[in-house]
Amino acid sequence: MIRIDANPTREYNGFDLRAGKPLPFGATLLADGGVNFSVYSRFATACELVLFKKHEAQPFAIIPFPDEFRIGNVFTMVVFDLDFEDTEYGYRMDGPFNLEEGHWFDRTKILMDPYAKVIGGRDVWGKIPDWDNIYPHRARIFFDDFDWEDDRPLEIPLEDIIVYEMHVRGFTQHTSSGVKHPGTFMGIREKIPYLKELGVNCVELLPIHEFDEFENSRISPITGERLVNYWGYSNVGFFAPKAGYAASGKFGMQIDEFKALVRDLHKNGIEVILDVVFNHTAEGNENGPYISYRGIDNKTYYMLTPDGYYYNFSGCGNTLNCNNPIVRNMILDCLRCWAADYHIDGFRFDLASILGRDQNGAPMNSPPLLETLAFDPVLGKCKLIAEAWDAGGLYQVGVFPSWGRWAEWNGKYRDDLRKFLKGDYGTVNAMIQRLQGSPDLYQWRGTNASVNFITAHDGFTLMDMVSYNEKHNEANGEGNSDGSDDNESWNCGWEGPTEDVEINRLRKKQIKNAAAILLVSRGMPMILAGDEMGKTQLGNNNAYCQDNEISWIDWTLLDTNAEIFNFYKKMIAFHNSHPVLRSNRHFQNIDYMGSGYPDISWHGNKAWNVDDSNGEPVIAFLLCGLHARGGTSKDDYVYVAMNMHWEPHSWELPKPPESLSWHVFANTDKLPPEDIWEVGQEVMIENQSEFIVGPRSIVILIGK
Amino acid sequence: MEVKITTSDGVTIVEISGNLDANTVPQAESEIMPLIVPKCLLVLDMGKCQYVSSAGLRILLTITKRLKTTEGGQWCMAGVPQEIMDVMEMTGFSRFFKTFDTVSAAVKAIQEGV
Repeated sequence: MIRIDANPTREYNGFDLRAGKPLPFGATLLADGGVNFSVYSRFATACELVLFKKHEAQPFAIIPFPDEFRIGNVFTMVVFDLDFEDTEYGYRMDGPFNLEEGHWFDRTKILMDPYAKVIGGRDVWGKIPDWDNIYPHRARIFFDDFDWEDDRPLEIPLEDIIVYEMHVRGFTQHTSSGVKHPGTFMGIREKIPYLKELGVNCVELLPIHEFDEFENSRISPITGERLVNYWGYSNVGFFAPKAGYAASGKFGMQIDEFKALVRDLHKNGIEVILDVVFNHTAEGNENGPYISYRGIDNKTYYMLTPDGYYYNFSGCGNTLNCNNPIVRNMILDCLRCWAADYHIDGFRFDLASILGRDQNGAPMNSPPLLETLAFDPVLGKCKLIAEAWDAGGLYQVGVFPSWGRWAEWNGKYRDDLRKFLKGDYGTVNAMIQRLQGSPDLYQWRGTNASVNFITAHDGFTLMDMVSYNEKHNEANGEGNSDGSDDNESWNCGWEGPTEDVEINRLRKKQIKNAAAILLVSRGMPMILAGDEMGKTQLGNNNAYCQDNEISWIDWTLLDTNAEIFNFYKKMIAFHNSHPVLRSNRHFQNIDYMGSGYPDISWHGNKAWNVDDSNGEPVIAFLLCGLHARGGTSKDDYVYVAMNMHWEPHSWELPKPPESLSWHVFANTDKLPPEDIWEVGQEVMIENQSEFIVGPRSIVILIGK
Repeated sequence: MEVKITTSDGVTIVEISGNLDANTVPQAESEIMPLIVPKCLLVLDMGKCQYVSSAGLRILLTITKRLKTTEGGQWCMAGVPQEIMDVMEMTGFSRFFKTFDTVSAAVKAIQEGV
């Protein structure tokens, strides 16, 4: 049936126009061939639509929005007969320029649509841009469809997830990756068999929204290489996947390529979590460029001081005004788009504490944005993970407003585990909490609230954590002043690479110790991509600007460090095959199943007796298999003895139930192949009552 | 873009030359869709096709879907230039299509029931 409003109502310089619909915001392709443009601005007095042919330097048309086409604070208009695949569009806004009032209107600037679904301008990663481009980041129009073939987000329970944090480019950019299209979404697709072999079931991608790798780009005075924004924690646009991460970005098909990746990961049982950055934008501080938000409605999009300056809770120059109702809706629309249109399984929110600040920057008790996201119907099954701190001093690990929905990056897990691992005295009590899913932090929220990690993109890799006492960020060109000094790392006796066999052996052992603890702890484990093969960044603990071999995964490490990979793979298989390790319930430290054993019990050198009077970093625990999943599942008994002391310790083993006997699954003191066994191939030990655990070693036994 | 339709041994060969994009998709659609009838055997000769845009990929996928619900209908593509093949792979479309190097190989295969 033909719509009676399908015809244009007026003409401007040869373009047929009609009043548009205010919602949805953005550029929407209509069935009658027109394109509906709609953009919000509260304070703009006039708006023009600026149209370019793809890649052309100058616009081919500038069409003012007739005042009659404006509804409320929304400029909206349908333009007919555009070749939508070959069109780039922007806006020019007129309005007050008064910095004290927070208004930055400049009618000469061409502005990107905040709702742009495709953004051109950085189509190929690293290609030097035309610095004189009058409109560098260009909104494009997309025909929004995809053949998902019955796919939908996997909805794997949080307690069964193992997260693998990776950088899209860094994962396959190294020549050793052997993929056809290195550094792209397609490259990850080619590596799906590897992810399956490793055994993870969730990838968490560092930001994949359109950002500008050339932001603050400069030449390193140390290496002479160009430093770029490699990590990408600086959004140009929130709704568009990064073109430079797609092999097909040069054809403008990044949406299809990314969706194909999500679909194929899902087919292989792997979820996708996106690292989303809603705390600031790439427009920076008062000296930053006009890209979009600042010129469209500065006062709406940014948190401003009473004098009109940008608050800087992000450490990146500006702060998105997250609890302004307009921005709140934009964030919601954005996440709904990623969940519904891209089938994304969850989100990790960078500097999420900013999302809980009001428009003046003060922390709120019940932040409306966080509550909205927790209860939104479209996001209802999405995983929501907070980085529960910000650069303005808020630290909310354990107290992030959650409504039972939000999980957190557990920074305390990382810190306590690192101290324990390097053998610090007095760390056992903290470890008892961390191993149990941090009940001291998440008593009322369940252990799913805790994302357990030892390393993440930000900080040392695991190999560097055991190879360096100090950060070595000279290549970043800031005199080694950037990056955290608080690493809790230990170099095992020599700073950096060494030929010393004993030191190298100890480093590998420490890596295995870390992996073992991570994968027997309650909560959601997260592994930094590359740790499973001993990736090094040569001591750089802040490689945000290093688009080179410092950051990229060198796949030859799979051979060099085969024993590390083997250990990870088997530990992951162990984690996945033992339900007694995975549950959202807190341990009760009692026997509620009548098995004769508490769900978890703690042991020292004497069974059933923890003597921490001298503070040694030594502790063991026993999980009763009949208490698996709160007693709803049956499993083997699991006994883990952790000796982070530099001396060997003899452990009296708790007696297993009558029909069971102790078998070794892992002993990090042993050299391969005796360091770890296949699940199901564990070796029965001769002495069932005593076990000597080597120095700085972990032993995992199962009772079966 | 131009669409040329010929037949060879009961197989309809559709030669597409030029660019298959949002501008030309409506024309391609109007010429190809009527060919999709029960028991049709189609070979899409892409040898002279220079560019397939996002909209172009979509029309190819639409043909596949339409044929799936058309009794006895079969189709495949021939002579797809490498660059277009690459785009199909990157975007995940290639898995929906059967392709052959040459038209004669495609005709032979479709006669034998690909």
